[in-house]
Amino acid sequence: MSVYRLNYRAYTGKVTPLWMRILVVARYGFNEAWSSRITIGLFILSLLPPIVFLVIIYVANNPMARSIIGSYDPEKMKIGASFFLIALQTQSWLAMVLASWVAPRLMGFDLADNALPILLSHPISRFGYVLGKFIALFGSLSLVTWVPILILFVDQSYSSPVPWAAANFQLAMGMMAGALIWIAFLSVLCLAVSSWVRWRVLATGAIFAAVFVPSGVGAIVSAVLRTKWGFLLNVPYMMSLLWQRLLGAPEFLGRWGSLPTPAILIMLAAACLVSVGMLNKRVRAREVVRG
Amino acid sequence: MGIIELNGLEVQLGGRTVLDGLTGELQGRAIGLLGPNGAGKSTLINTLLGFHLPTRGTVRVFGLDAHRDRAEIRGRVGYMPENDSFIGNMSGVRFVRYMAELAGLPSGMALERAHEALFYVGLGEVRYRKVNTYSLGMKQLIKLAQALAHGPRLLILDEPTNGLDPMARQRMIQLIGEIRKEGSVRLLISSHLLRDIDEVCDEVLILKGGRIAALCNIEAERRSNRSFIELETIGATERFSTSVRALGCECASFPGGRIKLVLPEHIEARDLYVIAAEQGVQIRRLNQRRDSLEDIFLRAMGNTPTGQPMPQSEIERPVHVRL
Repeated sequence: MSVYRLNYRAYTGKVTPLWMRILVVARYGFNEAWSSRITIGLFILSLLPPIVFLVIIYVANNPMARSIIGSYDPEKMKIGASFFLIALQTQSWLAMVLASWVAPRLMGFDLADNALPILLSHPISRFGYVLGKFIALFGSLSLVTWVPILILFVDQSYSSPVPWAAANFQLAMGMMAGALIWIAFLSVLCLAVSSWVRWRVLATGAIFAAVFVPSGVGAIVSAVLRTKWGFLLNVPYMMSLLWQRLLGAPEFLGRWGSLPTPAILIMLAAACLVSVGMLNKRVRAREVVRG
Repeated sequence: MGIIELNGLEVQLGGRTVLDGLTGELQGRAIGLLGPNGAGKSTLINTLLGFHLPTRGTVRVFGLDAHRDRAEIRGRVGYMPENDSFIGNMSGVRFVRYMAELAGLPSGMALERAHEALFYVGLGEVRYRKVNTYSLGMKQLIKLAQALAHGPRLLILDEPTNGLDPMARQRMIQLIGEIRKEGSVRLLISSHLLRDIDEVCDEVLILKGGRIAALCNIEAERRSNRSFIELETIGATERFSTSVRALGCECASFPGGRIKLVLPEHIEARDLYVIAAEQGVQIRRLNQRRDSLEDIFLRAMGNTPTGQPMPQSEIERPVHVRL
């Protein structure tokens, strides 16, 4: 086609490779997610704790600053596993708030206007489409989880004596792994829930329900059956244990004791599989009515 | 080689056979897909796009297997679905650009062609408005624009005139006609409106109960019926009929001076006027009957235009239907 001629013209130029279409979905998804002022607001809110943590790191490594606030004992403001555990937990739960807003935007607009038949009639598979959305959400959550936490780690490494970074390298790896596991789990779960609840506000509520309602059920199961295995339904508890172990922080044991790490990982993987199944059922160009 | 080859295609959905042993080759520049509700038109389109896996048989588009090579086929096809299907939160140009990029166009080229496609279909002035503010006719047009933007080789239009007012319908038909005339893109048009297919298509596939009821070239069909003529005359009708028979025409006379005849190849309508003039017969009306698409459709469905079941002899009439 040509505007000045206003007649049809076939396209004979070069075509992008198939894998690039996934990035196209991701790019448009990312843009859709960040076009909302609420997303920007939540992002700014998520950056406030890292600013506070940066100040703490500065004070902890600066004797003059400590003297100004009247804290002369360096042990009281020690930057270690416990400090970074608090940072990781804070950022991770803020990431959940952000995900519960962004994921319904990523899926909701496509589902509300029945865009899937047109989207999937292009050379992109259902897997590619979901992967593109996943990348958009995962990328957005990265900006508020492992990216600021690693910046904190780098700042602490720079501010403290040289051996600190080498001695605590495992801390960085643990934080990275803990954040990646959490945002990957959160991304799959949020996309799955959003694909089933078309109304975006309801979808946001449903995401919180999907995380916290099973926790309550798990607590009841544990109390009634007097077993610790009910806590396998408690995502916040499981993630806290996992983060503590990854960072080597002192473990907080609940009333029923600890859960083995493999059981936690299997449970998270099972939840991801259920979410993938939900996406597989929902993300289709056509619905087949049986009977 | 046809653009679409059906080879014993069977598709089952939800335990029900929706397409049952379709075999044929579609090679027209604009192919009409007709059939009553539930005949399997949309299922056939979905199978062509690789959305459904054939239970038995194969379907090939441009010589490629519709399921195995679906990514490649989708890159060459532009699809305009029947129902509303768009991203309402996006502006028109952004939506069309997104679809063009998904089809494989580089970002800059996709933007350029999105603008062109929107101007082409007549949405140039509203291209920055969000799609969910468009009227029904505009939504149909933007579906057409996104199907065209990447320059497909095959354009699949599912009920393109659905819900359009007469003006918008005329505009849509005109656009489709222009695209067809340009020649670089083949068209597959599914519609309930026989008139739409009649105006645009040169080949028609009629489905009934998941089977092919007719697959024919509309132009050839019309040509084969051009020799059938109905006359209304005043004067010596019997003598006129005898003279016409002497020319080699098959002829039947009816009360009121009505005559039906079939002209042999070497006789033309003007010869009838010559004979009538010689014998003082007035030809008040000459109707050169041409088989309308409706006739073809009703014959394929086994009904007459009045709704009565068609006689078996008429159904079995050789109408250049290739099954």
